[in-house]
Amino acid sequence: MQQTTGQALEVRLSAYIDGELGDAERAELDALLARDEDAKVMLDKLKAGSAFGNKAFEDFLHDPVPLALVRQIKQGSGINPRSERVATANLPARTVRVWPRALAAATTLLLLGGAAGYLAGSAHYVAEPESTASARPWIDEIADYHRIYSRQKEHLVEAPASDGPKIETWLASSVGVGFKTPDLASKGLTFEGARLLVVDGKPVGQLIYRDREGDIYAICFLKGGDTPQTDQFREDIRDNLGLVSWQKGDASLVLVGPSADAGLRKLAEAVAASI
Amino acid sequence: MRPAAETKDFRRDLVSLLPKLRRFALTLTRNANDADDLVQEACERAIARSHLWNGEGRLESWVYAMTRNLWVDEVRKRKVRAGGGAVDIFDQSELRVEAVAEKAVYANQLQRMILSMPEGLASVFLLINVEGHSYRETADILGIPIGTVMSRLSTARLRLAAMLSENTERRA
Repeated sequence: MQQTTGQALEVRLSAYIDGELGDAERAELDALLARDEDAKVMLDKLKAGSAFGNKAFEDFLHDPVPLALVRQIKQGSGINPRSERVATANLPARTVRVWPRALAAATTLLLLGGAAGYLAGSAHYVAEPESTASARPWIDEIADYHRIYSRQKEHLVEAPASDGPKIETWLASSVGVGFKTPDLASKGLTFEGARLLVVDGKPVGQLIYRDREGDIYAICFLKGGDTPQTDQFREDIRDNLGLVSWQKGDASLVLVGPSADAGLRKLAEAVAASI
Repeated sequence: MRPAAETKDFRRDLVSLLPKLRRFALTLTRNANDADDLVQEACERAIARSHLWNGEGRLESWVYAMTRNLWVDEVRKRKVRAGGGAVDIFDQSELRVEAVAEKAVYANQLQRMILSMPEGLASVFLLINVEGHSYRETADILGIPIGTVMSRLSTARLRLAAMLSENTERRA
């Protein structure tokens, strides 16, 4: 706990907001806020600044991270990180500091409401235009799915690998894309089974593998998709996930795995050759 | 030697940390190119010293402190090169405002506002208000006394409140 007695009121109230004060000093400030309008106004200002700053800092996480830097961390090769950038779409959950007491809750709500009102109203003025959900690349949704399913211990897949050829029949008829389940054992990956997902109203087949360290990899495919018609492999990073996407005929495919796996692209090439 | 799986985990954790690390670096450098260079250098150092990371506490605190130290060294070198003497920017009694050169990159007005805040304020605000570090942790990461952390935090909050108010009025 901090001792702020004798310091400027804004410093004391700021520490009060953060729960960094001892009980005695907090009680002292509680009493001050109950009787002093100027102190309440100051507290409101500090909280308004907090809410406003939080929004602004959250926007920083939308900035592109240099892809070359990601590669360098993964592979340890010397690349100029400024040369290439990739957007991060899925943000890590922001740590929220919980104001320790319910004191002045009404004031806080009023204040945050004002700040939120400004931020909402200023969206066209200060913020970048936001894409609509329908414009969201399909691989972003795949990354979201992967985050959720890869944590499932008991229900990782919908159809287990033991279903064998039935998986191919089921997914091919559901998705409209013929395929052969790649055998990636030589790459250290064990086929666990499959899932059927829905992205932007379209069925997506998902083949799930696990490596020796327990990391989950998935091959996802759908008919059509928004991947540009090209033979090139495209690499994206979504926080801790790496995605390599490509096109095969009228199907879009993406391999998802840990972004720290430096061999993800080679693995995607192996998948593309055998699927 | 660190087992391969642990090294892989460390690199993976570092990659996951990149958006936040870059944001922290921007609060120090307030310039995208410098921030990218700083993040790169910090990551190289973190990987080289990953055997020293004991896995306790928050990885970002460890990497942030490394990043901050690297930046202080860089600023010191630049000042010496420029003939301004070796002055620790975090030890300056007077905060100063520097122009933000990256307007093209940071077109977002909110971001530009943040980057135009006087030196030292944005980092403290980010660590405490946004990322939930304690005052003690923040002081350790930034290498400044807790009293300085407290005064910078309250100053940052009031400046942000003033920015909010100015923009609300401008829009009215």
